[in-house]
Amino acid sequence: MNHRILRCCVIGSACALVAAGVLEAKLRVVSTLQDFAAIAQAIGGDRVDTFALAKGYQDPHYVDAKPSLVLHLSRADLLIVAGLELEIGYLPPLIDQSRNSKIHPGNAAYLDASIGCEILSIPTQKITRAMGDVHPSGNPHYWTDPENGRIIARTIAAKLAAIDPKGTETYRENLSAFDTTLDAKLVEWQVKFKPFAGTKVVTFHDSWPNFAKHFGLEIVGNVEPKPGIPPTPSHTLEIINRIQAQHVPVILVEPYFDTKTPKSIAARTGATVVTLYPSVGGIPEIKTYFDLFDTDLDLLVRALGGVS
Amino acid sequence: MTVFELLLPAFVASLILTGIHAYLGVHVVERGVIFVDLSLAQIAAFGTTVAYLLGYDLHATGSYVCSLAFTFLGAAVFAFLRVHRKTRIPQEAIIGIAYAVAAALSILVMSKATQETGHLKEMLIGNILSVGWPEILKTAVLYSLVGAFHFVFRRRFLLISMNLAEAERRGWNVRYWDFLFYVSFGFVVTSSVAIAGVLLVFCFLIVPSVAAMLFSERLSVRLAIGWSMGAVVSALGVALSFQLDLPTGAAIVATFGAALVLLAVVRVLVRRRHLA
Repeated sequence: MNHRILRCCVIGSACALVAAGVLEAKLRVVSTLQDFAAIAQAIGGDRVDTFALAKGYQDPHYVDAKPSLVLHLSRADLLIVAGLELEIGYLPPLIDQSRNSKIHPGNAAYLDASIGCEILSIPTQKITRAMGDVHPSGNPHYWTDPENGRIIARTIAAKLAAIDPKGTETYRENLSAFDTTLDAKLVEWQVKFKPFAGTKVVTFHDSWPNFAKHFGLEIVGNVEPKPGIPPTPSHTLEIINRIQAQHVPVILVEPYFDTKTPKSIAARTGATVVTLYPSVGGIPEIKTYFDLFDTDLDLLVRALGGVS
Repeated sequence: MTVFELLLPAFVASLILTGIHAYLGVHVVERGVIFVDLSLAQIAAFGTTVAYLLGYDLHATGSYVCSLAFTFLGAAVFAFLRVHRKTRIPQEAIIGIAYAVAAALSILVMSKATQETGHLKEMLIGNILSVGWPEILKTAVLYSLVGAFHFVFRRRFLLISMNLAEAERRGWNVRYWDFLFYVSFGFVVTSSVAIAGVLLVFCFLIVPSVAAMLFSERLSVRLAIGWSMGAVVSALGVALSFQLDLPTGAAIVATFGAALVLLAVVRVLVRRRHLA
């Protein structure tokens, strides 16, 4: 009698383990940015689980290390990074601590999403420390151009197919669906923002050159004279005078920066401070890569409506 | 906008900060509670982050009131846990612990926040260039009230700071007066840190008072030296930051450091001449 119960238990738990194994068979994709996680989810569908180290409302240059991040990295089947030294301040030690050799730079499960994308502001002169937080390989905020999003989606689809050949068909179908949606959205965004093309803006950090190029904004200056260093008097003065002389209507600020300095410049010039979201997850409503541009363009159009 | 229009508010704000801090600094140095302002400022910042998480804007009245409430709590702790006689735990230890715990709690709270997480860094470094005239006016009124309060009760506060034993011999309720001292101090620090950042406020508080101690024992002379030094160094720091194109707050702090070294050298030279 006892033996029978024991046998049932053993068989039962074995079945449970197998079932769990089937459920757990999803590919674990970890990305530094929520944008890549959103795109990977769109491409991978049911075959992948995604997790982003930096939430969309956090400064992607600095993420506070938490034990859970290392845990996710240690189990990752694929790591997607922005590259161009965006994550250099926090990611390398996390990868080391994860003891997951697959996701080390250069190895099979490490994917640099910048490959093939259009990268702006690549320095032409020699980089020195005196230039502040400048990225020697170019501006790493390239995902704010939806055409780069298309390339990122292709890169991710190819990588997923290489790691998980059984899903190749799924990934191809999802990529083509992503492309179709993107095409439709590009037209919609173009129409929506056309009246405001050529608008001059000042941005807090240099996160928006790709976005500006795609949608036809003209960035006339950054509030930070050098990325990561507080503004000096002569630089603040120059920005104030530029805003006044060129009638710049808005100052764009990323959600993770203190708005005190931009607000004080706005108060002196009559410009409006607009918080614009550089990443998916900046606010809970931005769930997909397409939501990101829907939300940002809405915010911009609303802010410019009063002045244009 | 001209350079003058941009720098004038920052300079006037520095003068107002010097006015109250050079005076409070005398008390703080005499009491040997040098880091009390860092600690109260951090407690105030913790209050701001809590208010922020409850849905108030970082720079709105609601979060100011909340940070003030937290500061009063800190004031009460510092007043009632003055040297713990039975265990000989010094007050500076309690101040340090309060600083560390408040700083850690603000980090934890801000890790749950989804906007303006750069605020903690901004609060440390500050940007005195972003101060506007309405803020300066409000601060001037507030500091005048605190100054008047200290002037009315100057005998009590000064004796407790300079000669605790005598104050106790007279049977004064030292804890009660200490609480009032730290509350008034908290009022000042909460506003001044919002304007100038923790680093600069610490300098305004401690450096003029220490520099004055190099030259005199008398309170009136010390205040005169402290105020003059604060005003001159602020002007110099603001000017240097423009000339050399450096962040203004940090430039003023560095100028304070250099001025103190210079004054120390002057003291040595003056003493030599006296002896010769």
